[in-house]
Amino acid sequence: MLTRPSTATWLLLAPGLGLLLAFVVTPVLLTAWISLNEWSMYTPLSGMTYVGLKNYLSLFGDRVFNAALRNTLAYAGLCLVLILPLSFLLGQFLYRGLARGRAALRSVLFVPYMIPTIAVAIIWSYLYSPLYGPLNQVLGAFGLPRQAWLGSVDTALVSLVIFNVWQTIGYYTVLVIAGLTQIPDVYYEAALIDGANALQRTRYVTLPLMRRTLLFVVVIALINTVQVFEPVYVLTQGGPANATNVLSFQVYRTAFEFGQAGRASAMAFVLFLVLVAAVGAVMRLLRGSPEGGP
Amino acid sequence: MTAARGRGRVATGALSAALALAIAAVMLFPLFWMLASSLKTPQELQASPPVWLPAAPSLDAYRQAFSVVDYGRAFVNSLIIAGGTTAGILLTSLMAGYVFAKHRFRGKALLFNLVLATMFLPPIVTLVPLFKVIEALGLVDTYLGAMLPYLANAFGIFLMRQFIAGIPDELLESARIDGASEWTILWRIVTPLLGPAVASLLVFAFVYHWNSFLWPLTVLQSERMHTVVLALNRLVSYTSAIRFQNVVMAGAAVAVLPSVLIFLLLQRFFITGVATTGVKG
Repeated sequence: MLTRPSTATWLLLAPGLGLLLAFVVTPVLLTAWISLNEWSMYTPLSGMTYVGLKNYLSLFGDRVFNAALRNTLAYAGLCLVLILPLSFLLGQFLYRGLARGRAALRSVLFVPYMIPTIAVAIIWSYLYSPLYGPLNQVLGAFGLPRQAWLGSVDTALVSLVIFNVWQTIGYYTVLVIAGLTQIPDVYYEAALIDGANALQRTRYVTLPLMRRTLLFVVVIALINTVQVFEPVYVLTQGGPANATNVLSFQVYRTAFEFGQAGRASAMAFVLFLVLVAAVGAVMRLLRGSPEGGP
Repeated sequence: MTAARGRGRVATGALSAALALAIAAVMLFPLFWMLASSLKTPQELQASPPVWLPAAPSLDAYRQAFSVVDYGRAFVNSLIIAGGTTAGILLTSLMAGYVFAKHRFRGKALLFNLVLATMFLPPIVTLVPLFKVIEALGLVDTYLGAMLPYLANAFGIFLMRQFIAGIPDELLESARIDGASEWTILWRIVTPLLGPAVASLLVFAFVYHWNSFLWPLTVLQSERMHTVVLALNRLVSYTSAIRFQNVVMAGAAVAVLPSVLIFLLLQRFFITGVATTGVKG
């Protein structure tokens, strides 16, 4: 039986919850408050002047901010569109398709996830090098046109998407495999007896039973990609011509380089709202269907 | 019929082996390129089309990387910060996770959901006030300043709660009848039963904080406080020209190696950690 609350309950909770209160909850509330003020990072808090929603309203007409918002959504959307089917297919392949070397391939897939993101960004920036990198050489060997990769407005953001997918796909694949192991074999046996082919088994057995796992993959991928910062900071500084400027980077620059903490906080809050709205929409979309998950 | 099916199976087997190899090649190629480039000469780096393998592999670039930035010092800094943060996370997660799993009080579900909600928060949202708080405490450019905001996290509390919930209540009940305090029960009975779960939290927290960038970048301002990841960032900003690619790649290899080694040695704990959070969400 569970124990009733006692002094021990609160003493054991105090360190963890106290730290979260001090270093997560309080700063969020402070960000909300700062976003309603005009304040330079380099002056004391007492130098703040209350300006209401001015910081938010001024963001509407800010071209750089709008580009950052668009790029963030495009980056997250593109990552998601690649990660969801790829992790599902890789998970299926590792769990059912591959006879030998499953564990080895799973490790190989997972390794990039362990590497510091800035190292990943640096390695890929050399792979992308138009003249000295191997990627254009490989494209050339297949008769495909060479790309400018990070150097062109058209391909820079996609280049960042590609190595994010490379880095994180193993993590999502492991999530998918964990979900697949939860599906009892009897369902597949029953479907086989009913004469369902592989495609039908995936459509009518695997996908409905994987709804919770796939929802989890989407939510985690959204959280991770909406806050992309390191590759932009290390490689592109938002360029060329704002093509890779994203919200996190714009917030950082506005606060720590331009000193406009109020404005930066308003941007940060918009980022947070975008994430909450996106996660909410996904939850409704995937939870709303009548079949219901396990 | 059977022969045909047998041949079909062999073909499928060969096909899936080929696919597996292709996937492995895509995943490993960037790491191969990093290592190969770190051993090349400046001439080889400036060849177009690129040279894939160095003719005479040289460790010169590693010597140069170590002379440009103080990697030794950076390693110690990373060890202290990642190690200290991990220890804090382990303590706070076990304590709070135990209460959320085995104690009963009004508003527990709400409180737990609030804790989980903090996982959704992008770190950039709290960065400005967090920096001001740490500045006000006089902790800018200190180890404690780098660690303090991250000594508790929702993921750790969640992970520990999931595993502790699986421990039978009778075990705790009999200890209570014997007069054991909650503190004793947590450390003497619960924690020893959590071996793999604790290990997976340890390795995850350590690698996560070894790799972390945004907060250290903001709070650790002098070079002598820089972590390995910040040192790598500095190396790139000094030497990004293509003929120095070997130096940067050597620096990247040094930054990558510890995480990869920890993973390869302890991978079953990583997989357990990921799988648990995914399945029981």
